[in-house]
Amino acid sequence: MLVTWKYRPRNTFIQRLDPRTRFIFLACIIFALTIPEIWDYRILVPLFLLSLTQFLMARIEWKDIRWPLFFVSILVFFIIGLNGLLSGRGGPSTVNDPNSPILFQALIPGTTWGLTVTVSKLWFAMNQVLRILSMALPAILIPYTMDPNIYGTAFKQLRASDQVAFTMDLAFRFFPTFTRDLTITMDAQRARRYEMDKLKGGLIAKISKLAPLIIPVTMQSTVTGEEVIDAMDLRAFGTAPRTWLKKLKYAPRDYLIIGLGVAIFITCCVLKWGFGIGGFFVPDFFLNAVTG
Amino acid sequence: MNDRSAMNSAMNDNSTWEFGTRQVVYGAIGAALYGVFSWATNFFPLPAAGNITFRPAVAVLIFFGVAYGPIVGLLAGLIGNTLGDLISGFGFYWNWSLGSGLMGMVPGLIMASITDFKDRSQIIKAVGWGTLGIVVGMLFASLTEMFTGGIDLSTALVGYFTPAVIGNIVVTAILLPILMIAFAGVAARRGR
Repeated sequence: MLVTWKYRPRNTFIQRLDPRTRFIFLACIIFALTIPEIWDYRILVPLFLLSLTQFLMARIEWKDIRWPLFFVSILVFFIIGLNGLLSGRGGPSTVNDPNSPILFQALIPGTTWGLTVTVSKLWFAMNQVLRILSMALPAILIPYTMDPNIYGTAFKQLRASDQVAFTMDLAFRFFPTFTRDLTITMDAQRARRYEMDKLKGGLIAKISKLAPLIIPVTMQSTVTGEEVIDAMDLRAFGTAPRTWLKKLKYAPRDYLIIGLGVAIFITCCVLKWGFGIGGFFVPDFFLNAVTG
Repeated sequence: MNDRSAMNSAMNDNSTWEFGTRQVVYGAIGAALYGVFSWATNFFPLPAAGNITFRPAVAVLIFFGVAYGPIVGLLAGLIGNTLGDLISGFGFYWNWSLGSGLMGMVPGLIMASITDFKDRSQIIKAVGWGTLGIVVGMLFASLTEMFTGGIDLSTALVGYFTPAVIGNIVVTAILLPILMIAFAGVAARRGR
């Protein structure tokens, strides 16, 4: 069991961007969709296309991305999409419009309870999937396209304190070490006939049997911690502001992307609160296409 | 130095909200461990009932909160969940990372009152505060999913909150006492 960062250097526009730019842009997209509660396809479709463009521009190999995409697709289509289609809940109240044409209905005989799929719910489910994908696609890119060694510097230069930035940096350094410790512990326990794949007994017994893996690794890490604290104290960590080896510098393209993100956020807010555009509605073309 | 004073000096010589070298290092260690164990159980998922998943990493997170305080718990959960998601290739979900941070922070509030990691009543207290942390953290993450994921309240509570809370509480109730007792031994041997 080897831990490998998904990151690989690629000569792409996305990877040439400053990591801070990408965090800020992602935040702008999430806030633009969630704070003014945008459900209008005329805004959702362009934002989805923008996220999809970013995703394609990152040029991540299919073999690397297929499993994460599979898991995210299950979540988006089956859990969130189906929930929207069947219940119509999770969005504005106009989704459950009683006058919307019924596409499918299965009621418990003699009652009004059951399943009713309307045009409005179908359109809502499609919009919801687009909305989630618009936010998820740029986030999925991060581990594949951002150097793990730069997270600490990026957070420091995003005005995080030295402590927070160094915690981040140190966590990324410890991760492979503890993965190696876990692998060694697993091998050692297997040599003693411990089989993680064949844990027997009830749920409590199964969880208890994880202790031989978790306890040694965790306890060893607390001992390691004391040594690191001593080393850092000897170097007077925390007594004065630190300097960082790597320096990030915004390029014109970064200002452009940050400007685009902020513009998207402001536009969504102005459209929704200033002009009443951005709420949920079923467009005529969809209504006509579905109802014939 | 007896066990009790050894542990006192090891854990409780700082104030609850201090953010110094100790908190930076243990915050990073907690985060890395939470990330490693989360990632490992993604590869070897533990069988459970329905859509309940067991994440042993949660017990480690709560242990770090109890042993080293709320700042360490918060950082370990926040950064650890981000790390676990990143290394699994799932992306970045700020609300679940912040929820994990809260899950580690709340039990950290009793750090100063945990003086004996082998004492039964203090272990029960730690499990109780761990449970509270799980409820607060998962409630935050599930409810914010209504805004980010566009789900409704019942889906947030039934589909996300309940399975997460049940699984995490079971894991914590079983593994946290074992971690605390093991830690008492390590701290006593280390003598600091």
